[in-house]
Amino acid sequence: MTTDRQPTVIARTVTRVVVPFILLTALALLFQGHNLPGGGFIAGVLTCTAFALVYIIYGRESLRTLLGIAADGPGVLGGITGLYARLFAVGLLVAATGGVVSMALGYPFLTQAVLYLSDLPVVHALTAVPGVGTLELASAFVFDLGVYAVVVGGLLSVLSVVGRE
Amino acid sequence: MQPESALLLAALTLPFLGAALVPVVYRLLGERTAYYAAAVAGATLLLLAGEYGAAVAAEPATSGVTYQWIPALDISFTLYLDGLSLLLGFLASGVGVLVFVYSGGYMHGESGQAKYYATMLAFMGSMVGVALAADLVALFVFWELTSVTSFVLIGHYQRTDAGRYAARKSMLITVSGGLFMLVGFLVLAAASGQADGLSRTLTLVGTPNSLVANAEAVRAALKSSGLFVPAIVLVALGAVTKSAQVPFHIWLPNAMEAPTPVSAFLHSATMVKAGVYLVGRMRPLFLSETAVPAWMLVVATIGLVSMAITAILAIGATDIKELLAYSTASHLGLIIAGYGLANEYGVETGAFHVLNHAVFKAALFMVAGIIAHEAGTRYIPDLGGLRRDLPITAGITAVAALGMAGVPPFNGFYSKELLFEATYYVASHEGGLFWLYPAIAVFGSVFTFLYSIKFLSLFFGSKPDGLDAHRPPLAMLLPPLTLAGIASVIGLNGVLGTFDVQLPVIGEFLTAVIDASATEPLEHGFEYHVPTTLSPYFLMSLLTIALGVVSYPFYDRLHHTVRRLRALPPVSPNWYYDTAVSGVNGLSRSVARTVHDRRFRRYAFTVVTAVCLLTLGGYAAAGVTLPTFDGVAVTIPVALVLVTAVLGAIAVTRAPSHIAGVLTLSILGFMVAIFFVLSDAPDLALTQLVIETLLLVIFLLVLDKLPTWYGEVRRSRLVTDTLLSGVVGVTVFLTVLLTTAASPSESIAGRFVELAPVPADHGLWILEHGGGNNIVNVILVDFRAFDTLGEISVIAMAALSVLTLIGMRGHGRGDEGGESA
Repeated sequence: MTTDRQPTVIARTVTRVVVPFILLTALALLFQGHNLPGGGFIAGVLTCTAFALVYIIYGRESLRTLLGIAADGPGVLGGITGLYARLFAVGLLVAATGGVVSMALGYPFLTQAVLYLSDLPVVHALTAVPGVGTLELASAFVFDLGVYAVVVGGLLSVLSVVGRE
Repeated sequence: MQPESALLLAALTLPFLGAALVPVVYRLLGERTAYYAAAVAGATLLLLAGEYGAAVAAEPATSGVTYQWIPALDISFTLYLDGLSLLLGFLASGVGVLVFVYSGGYMHGESGQAKYYATMLAFMGSMVGVALAADLVALFVFWELTSVTSFVLIGHYQRTDAGRYAARKSMLITVSGGLFMLVGFLVLAAASGQADGLSRTLTLVGTPNSLVANAEAVRAALKSSGLFVPAIVLVALGAVTKSAQVPFHIWLPNAMEAPTPVSAFLHSATMVKAGVYLVGRMRPLFLSETAVPAWMLVVATIGLVSMAITAILAIGATDIKELLAYSTASHLGLIIAGYGLANEYGVETGAFHVLNHAVFKAALFMVAGIIAHEAGTRYIPDLGGLRRDLPITAGITAVAALGMAGVPPFNGFYSKELLFEATYYVASHEGGLFWLYPAIAVFGSVFTFLYSIKFLSLFFGSKPDGLDAHRPPLAMLLPPLTLAGIASVIGLNGVLGTFDVQLPVIGEFLTAVIDASATEPLEHGFEYHVPTTLSPYFLMSLLTIALGVVSYPFYDRLHHTVRRLRALPPVSPNWYYDTAVSGVNGLSRSVARTVHDRRFRRYAFTVVTAVCLLTLGGYAAAGVTLPTFDGVAVTIPVALVLVTAVLGAIAVTRAPSHIAGVLTLSILGFMVAIFFVLSDAPDLALTQLVIETLLLVIFLLVLDKLPTWYGEVRRSRLVTDTLLSGVVGVTVFLTVLLTTAASPSESIAGRFVELAPVPADHGLWILEHGGGNNIVNVILVDFRAFDTLGEISVIAMAALSVLTLIGMRGHGRGDEGGESA
């Protein structure tokens, strides 16, 4: 950021401590979304908040060096914005591909399935331990990942391209 | 007899596949792509020719091949091949072969060849589609595809103003005509639903439940609802715009901006024939048995008037392609008139002239291309005496132009003679004003004779100084030579017919073409010959030629008169078109200037006002009633939260600075989040909280750039802003009230509650159930995943548009930049 005022030490320290927690919370929301409050959309927005915080306090350059991206090239898709743009494109692709796969298997577009593993003997022994719960794999999670990627990629591209101005 | 469905599908898809492969082929073969395209066209021709037997024996009630398409709307994909569709298919693929070979010579060294061949092949496929489609929806789709491909081809030289103007003009006229036709199709479908013994259908022909197979019942249903004449007019509008009939003929002369092979292919032999084909196809459906059918009054009159007017306009042409363009419109008028006339000679005229015109006109266009290429000009006064330089071309022109003039025994003579016969019979039967039909036919044909001879005269007389023509390459000479050969064979068959000898196939094929449009099949097969007795219609032919010969010396005077007349604005459809288009353009520009004045306040004002007014107008139009108010039932915590929110909202308006405003605004947002918590909606609350936080952060990011303090606000602005906010508030309030009041009696929530979690009794794979305890999330990613896919697409699109807007900034040029901003 091109401001003459530098963020205070307090703000910088708090951000450094808080951002990992925000990201962790976001991931937790993403993973628990199927059974508890959360989901791809919320997790995506929360992740963006973490990035935006870093962005405001430390400036765009810090984020770029942190992620190891080359400096902004010419054009709107140069540098880190290109990465974000690719992220939302990939997210959309993942979400749509999941739907097409179900079509290929003979079900309507975007039919989701759940693989319930807890009943398998091996897994059952593990899930029987108190506090572990059940184990299931939902194909909907793939779709949720797509949603997450689109939200993160979309919002961050807007943020970074507008922020660059 | 049914055609082989696989072969028909192959003939339909082959050109499109060929078009898709053109970019690759062009990289390999370069300019020889022309011969690849010709091979694709040739294969299509062979596939269609293989079905000749089935086409000749086609039955309107049974010969269709049906595929499922949109069962929910009773729309099937039906293919049907009879004489008429086979003729159109032959024209598309057969002339296609010749035109592609010709292009190999003509397009030498031109730019954009890959695009050219791909579009030409796609056009050919669409044209085969128009010919084969027996379903109104499929027919419409292919019909519009021909318009789109024609648009691209007319605008081949896309950097020239004339090319762009011509492409846009043809698109506007043919597509708007097509929309009228679509309405006509829907009227037909609606009528079929009310017809006796028929269920609602969009199938035109080929199945027992099709429109043509039940023509009588459909006509009765249309008449009883008073839609008979409107349906004819609507469908005819599609045909006359496509076939460039008066007053919609104006796009065709401009379309000559296209490369000449395109003109020979689309604008003489095929695309403009689509309108004619539609008329021929609809004829058995609309032609009732009454003495003077409405069909004849509408269609034959349009055809004859167009034939005469455009023939006169052709006299005024100074460019050989312009002359041929008007002449094409005139001959299409002749065909339409033939199909319009309610007797068997009429339908014979139409069917036979479709073939004759395609043959001689495509040849003449190719000749025009040779002249333009080898002599370097298309300006008629600069041309003459080309016979010595281009002897073979001169021979081709003689055969084709005399056929066009209707001189016996050349091919065009026979079909024109049939038109005279048909009009004569109508006139002698009905008397009175119907004598105008033969009179107009002769009158128009005199001009046809005149301009045909004028075209031929380019090869005779003395050669102007400085005119030097080279020999054309073989690729450009062979195709018109082939066409002239076909024309000669058709002519020769007539001469032989005089001696009762008939060449094989021609008569049988034409009979099949005629039967497709006739109300009842011909008793004897169709045959034609040079007349040996002085019948009234042979006299009409002779009169035409005599009048033509007498007036030919005055050609120049006629030419100047026509030019002066057509320059008068009120009689020129071009003037109306240009005025309308520039008027609409001006209107849109001034609206854009008013609405887009590059000030955010104005943008927000117009958008928000429009949305509110549309919503409120919608409520008013739908006559919604407000739900009855039966007391407030809120708990104390909720009431507290809501009151705090309202206080926060009021405080926003009093905030002295941006920072204070944003922070106060977030009070409102967080209160809403707490409200969600209190209403047992943790997901919503979480989302609201996170979004609120993100918004706050983003606001802080941009606040740096804004002035810290608000300026003094003008009183008038304050009043409008308050009013607008009030309207928005009322709209949102009403919307919430109305949407929440209309709760269905059977709630869907119960079903979701039941389906979302892991069921008690299940296997390894769970398909029916969502398998999650968070119903909101299961709905989002499973039950209503399609909605979510739409929403994330919107996010992606929004991000893309922001990227594009910022990326494009500074790229705009002058005015256009303002429009795209």
